[in-house]
Amino acid sequence: MSRYPVTWRFLDALEAVAAFLWPRRMHRYTGVLLLVPAVALVGLLVAGLFQMGDSSLRLLDTETFEQSEDYSLANYRDLIEKPTYFTVLWRSTWAAALVTVLTLLLGFPYAYAMVRTRSAWRRKALLVSLFLPFFIGQVVRAYGWLVVLGKTGLVNTLLGTLGLGPFKMIYTFPSLVFGLVQYMLPFAVLLLAPAITAIDEELESASESLGAGGWRTLWHVVLPLARPGLVASAVVVFTLTLTDYAMPVVLGGGTNDFIANAVYDAFFRISDNGLGSALALTLVVFGSTVVAVMLGLLGAGTLGMRGRGNAR
Amino acid sequence: MRLSPRAVFGAVIAFNLVALALPTLVILGASFTEGNMIVFPPEGFSLKWYDKVLGSEPLREAFLRSLWVSLICTAAGVPAGAFAALAMARFRLRFAGALQIYLLLPFTIPLIASGIGLMLFFGEIGILGDLWPVGIACAVINLPFMIWAVLASVNGLDPDLENAAANCGAPPLQTFLTVTLPAVMPGVITGGLLLFVLAFNEFLVSLLLTDANTVTLPVSIYNSIRSIITPDLAAVSVVYIAVAGVAIVLLDRLVGLEVFLRGK
Repeated sequence: MSRYPVTWRFLDALEAVAAFLWPRRMHRYTGVLLLVPAVALVGLLVAGLFQMGDSSLRLLDTETFEQSEDYSLANYRDLIEKPTYFTVLWRSTWAAALVTVLTLLLGFPYAYAMVRTRSAWRRKALLVSLFLPFFIGQVVRAYGWLVVLGKTGLVNTLLGTLGLGPFKMIYTFPSLVFGLVQYMLPFAVLLLAPAITAIDEELESASESLGAGGWRTLWHVVLPLARPGLVASAVVVFTLTLTDYAMPVVLGGGTNDFIANAVYDAFFRISDNGLGSALALTLVVFGSTVVAVMLGLLGAGTLGMRGRGNAR
Repeated sequence: MRLSPRAVFGAVIAFNLVALALPTLVILGASFTEGNMIVFPPEGFSLKWYDKVLGSEPLREAFLRSLWVSLICTAAGVPAGAFAALAMARFRLRFAGALQIYLLLPFTIPLIASGIGLMLFFGEIGILGDLWPVGIACAVINLPFMIWAVLASVNGLDPDLENAAANCGAPPLQTFLTVTLPAVMPGVITGGLLLFVLAFNEFLVSLLLTDANTVTLPVSIYNSIRSIITPDLAAVSVVYIAVAGVAIVLLDRLVGLEVFLRGK
């Protein structure tokens, strides 16, 4: 009796409790049980969507500032009829496409070098340079750009010593795009890297020993094989940009609003929850459609959530 | 002359490194200035802005609130995400395809819509204005990161190891604690750190779910940006640089940053 360690007894007791609470005949439902917390958490989101759907069908009474009891589609009609919302939607979409292209162009060489470098030190340096801004939130980074690009900021001071400027850079569309590209770069690189790792390096050597130059090898061998990573990065960068709030509001300075800013303003400037909900739901539908089309055309890339088929 | 990919890649990477590091370096530099304005090069060296920030009651409270939100997010998100990943990878589930789409919802629904929806729902059930729902909201929107991190580890574990443990007489709980859990630990740590840092940084959802009495640190920084940009804001932002630094060191020591390069 005394030989029996106390941790074993503890484990036995735990085991007995577990067997009592979750008897063997329930074991085939263990998978379901494990999913309950996650499904419940996401359920909050679904409840929110329904709440938003309900609100979007109610009109704002401009006298009492309360929402109507009966349902109508008037908020959606409003959205279609107001050209401002179309302008904002168009601006977000166009910016998202531009940012996606720029981020992939900049991110691919970075991911490639990070995976392929032979120097462990260099790999670590590239990883740390990537993670540091990734772990510093959007607001702080946007603030950093205000300091770099502002009227008395770093760039204008440097240009000033050359007798140039000052130039107005913040609160313009190009600075907004630049800030967004810098924000998206870590996402893109981290989604590209696994896809590049999966490419057999000997394929590149083979291509080059068969006489293809560096660019031809890149275009005909590396990029096609890196496709899952390119798809995943493109989808993520596009949707995150399309729906971004902080960069347009900090670096865009109110004249370069995206849809998310319009949603926020509908709720907190004009206090029209119905209109804001309708706009937010339109964004959900628009964004999901774009993602579905991209994934449908290009495949799920590295975004899947399924195991590798070793299910019990 | 034709440029080789090597030369172009080198130039692009150099540009990236500057662009990635510049905001951080500038904030660090500006936080030590002696002057009352942010100018280049910074005037003199002093810790007065740190002194001012440390003495500020609202900032200290906002910092503690952010910390609390991150802890709640991690406490709720880590088990939920880890168990979900185990279930997705290890059990033959009905409706696995639909389930996958459902669990990806926090990722596919735009943050502004998730935030507004949660705001309306929390308002409806009367918990809007409390701090803990902000932590739960952060766990919801970042859940996919946790699931992905753990899935990567689960997929690296041979199910025969668990079968062997069971075969040797280990009851289910013991198998889980001594075989499964240690094997997925790298994923759990990675996901947990991500959840903590993302919640500490979360701006938009905080902005929607907090009021004047519950502002978190990112929201209070944002509110100050909109007025006048003084160096004290740089000193506050250094908190974020420090937290990011600690998180990276932890991630590298406990798991190794290289896990992010591993092919799927």
